[in-house]
Amino acid sequence: MLDARVWLLWALSLLLIASYARNPLYGIVLLLTTLVVGSVCAPDREGPRMPLSPLRFALIAIPLAALFNALTVRLGETVLLQLPTWLPLVGGPVTGEGLVFGATNGLILTVIFSSFAVFNRVIPVRDLIKLTPRAFHESGVVLSIALTFIPQTTRSLQRIREAQAVRGHRVRGLRDWLPIIVPLLVSGLERAIGLAEAMVARGYGAVADAGQPVRNQLFLALGLLALLGGWLGYLFMPAQRGIAAGFALAGAVLLVAVLWLAGRSTVHSVYRQRRWRVQDTLALGGCTLALAVALTQRGALYYAPYPRLAWPAFDPLIGLGLLGLLLPAFLPLDEEERL
Amino acid sequence: MRKAITGAIYALSGAIGVLAFVYPLLVPEFATAGMGQAHSQVAPLITAVLVGLTLLALVVELQGRTLSAKTVAILGVLVAVTSVLRFIEVAIPLPGGFSPIFAPIILAGYVFGARFGFLMGAFTLLASALVTGGVGPWLPFQMFSAGWAGMTGGWLPSSKLGTGRAAISLLCGFGFVWGLVYGVIINLYFWPFAVGPASQTWAPGLSIGDTVARYVTFYVVTSLAWDIPRAVGNAAMILVLGGPLIKSLLRFRRRFYFEVITDA
Repeated sequence: MLDARVWLLWALSLLLIASYARNPLYGIVLLLTTLVVGSVCAPDREGPRMPLSPLRFALIAIPLAALFNALTVRLGETVLLQLPTWLPLVGGPVTGEGLVFGATNGLILTVIFSSFAVFNRVIPVRDLIKLTPRAFHESGVVLSIALTFIPQTTRSLQRIREAQAVRGHRVRGLRDWLPIIVPLLVSGLERAIGLAEAMVARGYGAVADAGQPVRNQLFLALGLLALLGGWLGYLFMPAQRGIAAGFALAGAVLLVAVLWLAGRSTVHSVYRQRRWRVQDTLALGGCTLALAVALTQRGALYYAPYPRLAWPAFDPLIGLGLLGLLLPAFLPLDEEERL
Repeated sequence: MRKAITGAIYALSGAIGVLAFVYPLLVPEFATAGMGQAHSQVAPLITAVLVGLTLLALVVELQGRTLSAKTVAILGVLVAVTSVLRFIEVAIPLPGGFSPIFAPIILAGYVFGARFGFLMGAFTLLASALVTGGVGPWLPFQMFSAGWAGMTGGWLPSSKLGTGRAAISLLCGFGFVWGLVYGVIINLYFWPFAVGPASQTWAPGLSIGDTVARYVTFYVVTSLAWDIPRAVGNAAMILVLGGPLIKSLLRFRRRFYFEVITDA
């Protein structure tokens, strides 16, 4: 089991590389990488239910994206069929190039979806909450309460449904949910009152002063202002892009600084510290390699089928570099985990 | 002074959120930059980072001002109940994009106020994404939009309207509109991804009107059929369940007004 931060970097690297790549061959390499890592590192673990598997997502996203692109794009020389021009917006030639480019977009979306699906499956929810910055202590508490109460609420939903079924209640329409949802809500709120009383009795929030210091608030507002101004300038004043980007960056840095300042005031202790292992370093290296290759070879990752469809170029070295992301699948488990 | 700064933080983060959603329409050349200009392909990612950062700033501000032990507890439990409703959505195929989470978010905003509504919307999406495995670059956008749904619910004066027919019909309208607007917003986020970075149709001088027309096609082709059930479902859910739910929430709001008196 790798460090949660390494997995986060892994997913973000895939996200970044996928947004650069429009070459379907590299797209397929990335997609296979996520599928292999997913099946090795998270083999049917009892975990979060996936609403949609990556392959099913691909079956939906690729045809839809291809269809949309082919219907709205008029570039390309291989005309497949001619829609009557009186049709609003979609009329005109439908080209094979448009279809291919749309399908590639769908493939890239699938890669992004699949990489985060793996991320969601390999990381236990508790570790994800631990990734929350310290400034979000209260939000972390809310989330922990919510996640703790979800199984209880599911059970209580089951109980209420059974109790109502015993009384001859059947769910036929929306109105029949009323005798189920209201008791569910009321019992949940009763528990919330008990919890709040217990928290107050244990002194939760008794020492914390109300809200952020004014200085932090002021810096927050200034950071947001710089961010907004810089972004607007970047979008609408092409001549001053450098200055505008600098402004936006300064705003972002200021915001991060405030978050750090706000986090310093909460003390945080951990019962059992997870050690950084060799495997973590290796996986980190793999991600860095793939990122470095992708960022230096941005042009090669790109491919546009216009004006005439041609087979995309594939450089085995780049492909090999991208396989650095495959490393998590080949790292040996520790002794304690194998048991 | 403090109030003014707080107001500024809300307004600025709202403006950044709106800009993040509409910039592909205003500046299409930026979203769909020329072929080979690889750097523009990360525009959606940079947007996601900016939106995420803004969301964090807003949450830091909100949590500092509202989260007493009582609010923490009630928020956590309401988020849990609503997330369980989302399991129903995952387990039983409901028509189209209908999701039972919006009605509770809007109702909670209506009863407990705009700030609570925003946090409720954002945290519900976050918690259910954590549990159902839906964490991804789209999450900040979903959290923002659901938060706004809850926040606008809080703008209606619940102390005046109560659970009367006027309140229910207004809230039904809210549910319907938010069902559609949520779809529009989430699509605007996916739009630069789906269109891709090539300057496929964009030409110098393409007006905002043309871009909007193209977006409308995109929307009608891919999502309208998906979003209508969500809008209708929200309205129906509020119409049928809204009155009793608001009543129980109001009752508990009164019960939560217990004060701790400490002798210093």
